[in-house]
Amino acid sequence: MAERFAVLPCNGLDKLAGPLAREIALAVVEACKGELICPVLYNNLSARYAKALELPLIVIDGCGTRCATKLATEHGLKMVRKLQVAETLKELGESDGGSLTPDAERLALCQRLAEKLLSAPDEGAASNTEVQFAEPVEYGSVTHDKFIFRVPMQDYLFNENHCWAHVVGNRARVGISDYMQQQLTDLTFCEPPRIGARIEQFGEVGNVESVKSVADILSPVSGHVVAVNPIAAETPEIINEDPYVRGWVAELELTDLESDRQLLMDGPAYLDFVRRQAAQYKPNR
Amino acid sequence: MSDTTFMGVSREKIPWCPTIDYAKCDFCMECDKFCPHQVYERREGNPQLVVAHPTNCVVFCRACAKTCGPDALSFPNKPEVIELIKRIRAEEENNG
Repeated sequence: MAERFAVLPCNGLDKLAGPLAREIALAVVEACKGELICPVLYNNLSARYAKALELPLIVIDGCGTRCATKLATEHGLKMVRKLQVAETLKELGESDGGSLTPDAERLALCQRLAEKLLSAPDEGAASNTEVQFAEPVEYGSVTHDKFIFRVPMQDYLFNENHCWAHVVGNRARVGISDYMQQQLTDLTFCEPPRIGARIEQFGEVGNVESVKSVADILSPVSGHVVAVNPIAAETPEIINEDPYVRGWVAELELTDLESDRQLLMDGPAYLDFVRRQAAQYKPNR
Repeated sequence: MSDTTFMGVSREKIPWCPTIDYAKCDFCMECDKFCPHQVYERREGNPQLVVAHPTNCVVFCRACAKTCGPDALSFPNKPEVIELIKRIRAEEENNG
């Protein structure tokens, strides 16, 4: 008997990703004898699903607006598995156009994606890594008005999008810099990538939202996601408090570090970059 | 030095900015409301929204596309742009 899940899908109808999210949700619920959460009713009357939500939750988003994920986050629901249909179609080289009524071929695809979701590891599941990521021993800093922006001087690489990679052997943890977290202000949401996802350099390795803005985390390095930080996903303020150590977002197995390095800075170079950026920084709070 | 370079390459040489598919765009202006870099500009008449300041766009950022319900925004191919930046850097290094 498969593990039972509650499934919260996208409720979109105006793009193919929405109807496909619905079909995948139905297939998951049917296969695991789970519970389907209607996002519209849940939004209006969350108590209706209190019992169903005792089950571990799968969220299925249609498109990049991620309404289902946002709804779950607003209600403090813990998501154990996630799927975004438009992104998955792209990864599979499938078209996201055509009729809004899924044909037999697409229904079969939905069935396969449902099976894959049911057999996927939970988000935040422990990786088999033995790699130890030591805390930085030395920080440099830039002071601008009342702000102090810190940068680890060794072992971290940075891109100009204010994201870092802490490289140890063929692994790296990635996250956002102190400068970026202070620009965003208090973080309210952190969506890590899917474990197993292949990430290109400058590809999205998750995203963060604050009371002020939304930002993609653009990976300094290319590789496969082997772990995500469940603490950052559940309590994103950890990224504000400790962006370089406890606030890591994902861990990657590296695929092309030497090539990636060409477009990265070490600690001292990034500190210099932050100094120039800070000179133009006009905090708006 | 200003922020008009990316990894030492002049921002003007890097073709990274959104393209609006006017067949899909419903002019909800969510992208313009979202973007803090004034990449977009609203206009009287048709079209009501244009990519007026493409070099203001943060290289490799696609965050505005996520606000777009009708999926009317597209960006260049990232790996191709990365290769281009590396090529320009190598050329500029060779030319001293």
